[in-house]
Amino acid sequence: MLILGIDTSCDDTSASVVEDGRKILSNIVSSQSDIHTKYGGIVPELASRRHIEMIIPVVDEALQQAGISFSDLSAIAVCNGPGLIGSLLTGCSFAKAVCYSRHIPLIAVNHLEGHLLSVFLESSCPEFPFLSLIVSGGHTSLHVAEDFGRYVELGKTRDDAAGEAYDKVSKLLGLGYPGGPIIDRLAEKGDPKAIDFPRAYLPDSFDFSFSGLKTAVLQFLRKENLLEGPLPPNSKLLLDIAASFQAAVTDVLVRKTEWAVKKKWIRRITLSGGVAANSSLRKKMLAMGKEKEIGVFVPSVSLCTDNAAMIAAAGHHHFLKKDFAGLDLNPTAYLSLTAGKKERGNKSIL
Amino acid sequence: MKAISNSAEATEEIGFKIGRKLKTGNIVRLYGDLGAGKTTMVKGIARALGIDRKDITSASFTIITEYPGNPPFFHIDLYRTSGGVDLDSTGIWDCIGAQSISVIEWADHAEGELPEDSLKVTISDLGNDVRDITIEGKNEKDWDHL
Repeated sequence: MLILGIDTSCDDTSASVVEDGRKILSNIVSSQSDIHTKYGGIVPELASRRHIEMIIPVVDEALQQAGISFSDLSAIAVCNGPGLIGSLLTGCSFAKAVCYSRHIPLIAVNHLEGHLLSVFLESSCPEFPFLSLIVSGGHTSLHVAEDFGRYVELGKTRDDAAGEAYDKVSKLLGLGYPGGPIIDRLAEKGDPKAIDFPRAYLPDSFDFSFSGLKTAVLQFLRKENLLEGPLPPNSKLLLDIAASFQAAVTDVLVRKTEWAVKKKWIRRITLSGGVAANSSLRKKMLAMGKEKEIGVFVPSVSLCTDNAAMIAAAGHHHFLKKDFAGLDLNPTAYLSLTAGKKERGNKSIL
Repeated sequence: MKAISNSAEATEEIGFKIGRKLKTGNIVRLYGDLGAGKTTMVKGIARALGIDRKDITSASFTIITEYPGNPPFFHIDLYRTSGGVDLDSTGIWDCIGAQSISVIEWADHAEGELPEDSLKVTISDLGNDVRDITIEGKNEKDWDHL
């Protein structure tokens, strides 16, 4: 069974053809980062305009690379949220139009479910149940995945997402956007223990908070009179700030996941989302798993960042349950992973 | 009117009291440095409008977050618009106005362009967790008894 996945939830236009939910035939991601870099982040209106320009060439390329045409498809799976509403609309409208004209079913996939199931595109994947930590520029959440389509939210961020903290600190340090890869690179050469930035463990819940950490970095820079001009590149202090900040973020993410393992008696973890591309987070989570004998599953970097293969893979499981969306499907900017069917349209064409 | 907050909880509570007085069509301009407690205050405002405080997170990434309702509530964050983003391309003009209630963080990034008859709330960090909160607006007397 061939499913075309489409993801336009944020700033990347992506289309992918996946066979039987496991085998990637193509996974095209057209990044917009060159457009948004100068603004220090995504500009929603610019993003949706760019999606409109890119959606047809990206889908064409995905089909071509897979060596198939629209008539070979069993269904189209499209991300209907959460994300930027204008961006989501482009993908959803496109998918609806093709499904209508080709008489094939439409499947609505939650972006977070895509991230959560992205690990199934790798040869090594966990059995259910498992714990899923999703960390990105817009999300930080911990779920229990009981089965395909059955997810329980344990916690999420109360303020800033982990990736957002990276972007804000990067901006404070006079560095570029996106902040994650830049800080990750600097942190490798710095001392993670140089500055003791606070870690918000919030011990009575599985929620996260990264807003206070960002403020602590600001206060440190203010105290040391470092806010006026950028620190010299590769200066020891800059490297140490980057390393100490990164240690504070990754410590909390790893430790809280470890708590969830103990509390829920689930000894399998998946790590995904854009921040899962962070080398230190990957290393720390894998090391924790090794030490505690917990299975840690981290998809390759190209499947951690936004992509449509994960949407197609998730769509496969909706298809098996005949869980199709209606052509009245509307995207939703805020959509929880445990949301009911009402958000997914109801007038099925089948 | 002026108030002093000694904690994040107190800032949120002041937000709640502001939120209770908001009516459809109201716009709140929120001023304050990074880490001053703007999003914390928005949590309080939103709670007064019947939105779960946990659902209010930073809007820096999305610039605009809509909470459907009657009227809809818009949480707007212009933090990133200082980099030269044209205010028009954020889409905020489709959100703020007579049909909604909106709160705009980093309103100084749109100084002079936002409606002046809106409410202005400034949070200043005085150090040691103390925040000075100033509320100014067209009908300033309305805000003397929160």
